[in-house]
Amino acid sequence: MTFEIEIGPRTRTVSIEGLGAAGPSGGQFRATIDGEPHEVSVRSTDLGLSLVFADGRSIDVAATETASGEWFVQLPHVDLTAVVDRRRRERVRPGVAAAAGLQRVTAPMPGRVVRVLVKVGDLVEVRQPLVVIEAMKMENELTSPKAGTVKEVPASEGQSVEAGRLLVVVE
Amino acid sequence: MPSPLKVLIANRGEIAVRVIRACRELGLGTVAIYSECDRAALHVRLADEAWPIGPSPAAESYLRIDKMVAVARQAGASLVHPGYGFLAENGAFAEACLAAGLTFVGPTPQAIARMGSKTAARQAAIAAGVPVVPGTESPLPDDASEAVLAAEAARIGFPLVVKAVSGGGGKGMRTVDGPADLAAAVRVARSEAKAAFGDSAVYFERRLVAPRHIEIQLLGDEHGTVVPFVERECSIQRRHQKVVEESPSRAIGDETRRAMAECAAKVARSVGYTNAGTIEFLVDRDERFYFLEMNTRLQVEHPVTEMVTGVDLVAWQLRIARGERLTLSHARALTPRAHAIECRVYAEDPDRGFLPSPGLVRAINVPGGPWVRDDRGVTAGFEIPVFYDSMISKLVVWDDTREAAVRRLTRALDEYRVVGVRTTLPFFRWLVEQPEFREGRFDTTYLDRVLAERQGRPFRDPSPADETYASVAVSVAAWLRAHRAAAGATTDEASAWRRAARREALQ
Repeated sequence: MTFEIEIGPRTRTVSIEGLGAAGPSGGQFRATIDGEPHEVSVRSTDLGLSLVFADGRSIDVAATETASGEWFVQLPHVDLTAVVDRRRRERVRPGVAAAAGLQRVTAPMPGRVVRVLVKVGDLVEVRQPLVVIEAMKMENELTSPKAGTVKEVPASEGQSVEAGRLLVVVE
Repeated sequence: MPSPLKVLIANRGEIAVRVIRACRELGLGTVAIYSECDRAALHVRLADEAWPIGPSPAAESYLRIDKMVAVARQAGASLVHPGYGFLAENGAFAEACLAAGLTFVGPTPQAIARMGSKTAARQAAIAAGVPVVPGTESPLPDDASEAVLAAEAARIGFPLVVKAVSGGGGKGMRTVDGPADLAAAVRVARSEAKAAFGDSAVYFERRLVAPRHIEIQLLGDEHGTVVPFVERECSIQRRHQKVVEESPSRAIGDETRRAMAECAAKVARSVGYTNAGTIEFLVDRDERFYFLEMNTRLQVEHPVTEMVTGVDLVAWQLRIARGERLTLSHARALTPRAHAIECRVYAEDPDRGFLPSPGLVRAINVPGGPWVRDDRGVTAGFEIPVFYDSMISKLVVWDDTREAAVRRLTRALDEYRVVGVRTTLPFFRWLVEQPEFREGRFDTTYLDRVLAERQGRPFRDPSPADETYASVAVSVAAWLRAHRAAAGATTDEASAWRRAARREALQ
């Protein structure tokens, strides 16, 4: 099976081949990343997966698919986000196709919109604050995931929002 | 055998678990309370009894004095431990417990009221002869001459801050480094204060340069004994919230420690303080210390004191509440054995300005090994609620020296894994590598300053190798899922056969 794995700006093509005793709960695999093969032994664990590579490197990793379809990958020292087969998913769900290049900023938790700092058409930098939400008695700034132009601002000041509510769209 | 005394634990999360543990060790029964979202929380599972107290918002559950008292009565509890936060420093709650014939595990309502007011507490400290941050006790008159201002400023010392009496948010506030700038600063502060608050009254306060936050834990019994403990260093703060605490402090010597402990005990004695409390001080570079405020409860960071003294503070809280005499040796309480450090691990995303990241904890791997303590109220399978503080755990380590303790902390942080939510662990892994932290060179301004300098850059960027591992992991996870789905039907069939075979074998 072949997957397209997008991490940050780079997309890798990864093909996975089960070797010998590979089955649904793990085994020996060959993962070929952009043509470069890696042999890896895999076991399911309480955290997620234990990987042992051919050079002996042992990596304990948890990979959780989130509601938005991205994978939240937790390596021993660093967390990162990966998108699997964006193009394939976007073919299956045409609604998402329009969203290519669009970043939707949603409320990470229920709360109240205290301030809206941008309006449609504004140019924003990466990590520029867009909206301030009050939750858990704290004011939290939601920042832009990318540099671009503000396309939509459904959020309004004083509004109560539930988790997942769309606040700002940046292209 | 008579049934044991029961303690109602009027709190949730890790501190409720901490109190349950102390009760168990003393042979006391435990009564937990829970809001709707906390039904499956660890404190509920560990307690002997658990009673619902209402909907998830704290105002409708953990802050309801009437419900707490009603549950205590219904369950037949005779003591109430408030933990920290929620109702812990609410004099009315202590009062309501006493009125209902319950023993409140904490100071008297009078002591809570007195030391809870910042100005009353400051006056108590002054009356006890304990230094407070020097300042003018009353506002400077509008028509004060330059000579009067200069004399007052000289009395307080430079650098000083001219502050609006009705001020806040940095308005009407001016720092003055020497006598030459004084008159101008007062004029500007007055006009700003007038414009912002409609009140031009100002006063002077000494500006402490790069102060440390150092605090003294103490216990007092109902027979007049007060025992102060070795200090806790809490200068690593983000927006005035403590993030890392340790004991002892690198910044003070034995003489200062003894003097601070003596001052803390004097303040406590002067107000007839009982049970656990903490007096917070600011300490300048010359080890001069100034009373800041008193916390009339057990504090979040109490474990570091327990680690370096071997004293169980929560057990003593319960024993004192039952009228026991505090038989603890003063020398033991004041003499640190080696070094302890605590990190507060939160469900917050450090790479997005420490935004709360509540949610389902899918798995937890807690560090183990020698001299590692983890006080935690969250388990795998628990959904961290959005309604309260998002603390996951307090990770505490102990070792011979501070250097060794930092190494142990680094190792424990690397081992710590929380799956499913973002946590402050990546931030701590970064912090322990900073030279200022490793060498103990920091004050209360340190963390906010370096965080501002970082401008939101991620605490750790994935390396190319990390991205390779992640690509393999996600692809294999997707492969396994596809094969599990394909194998689903056959697996069900196979297990049906196995069940049938087992039934036959049993007959």
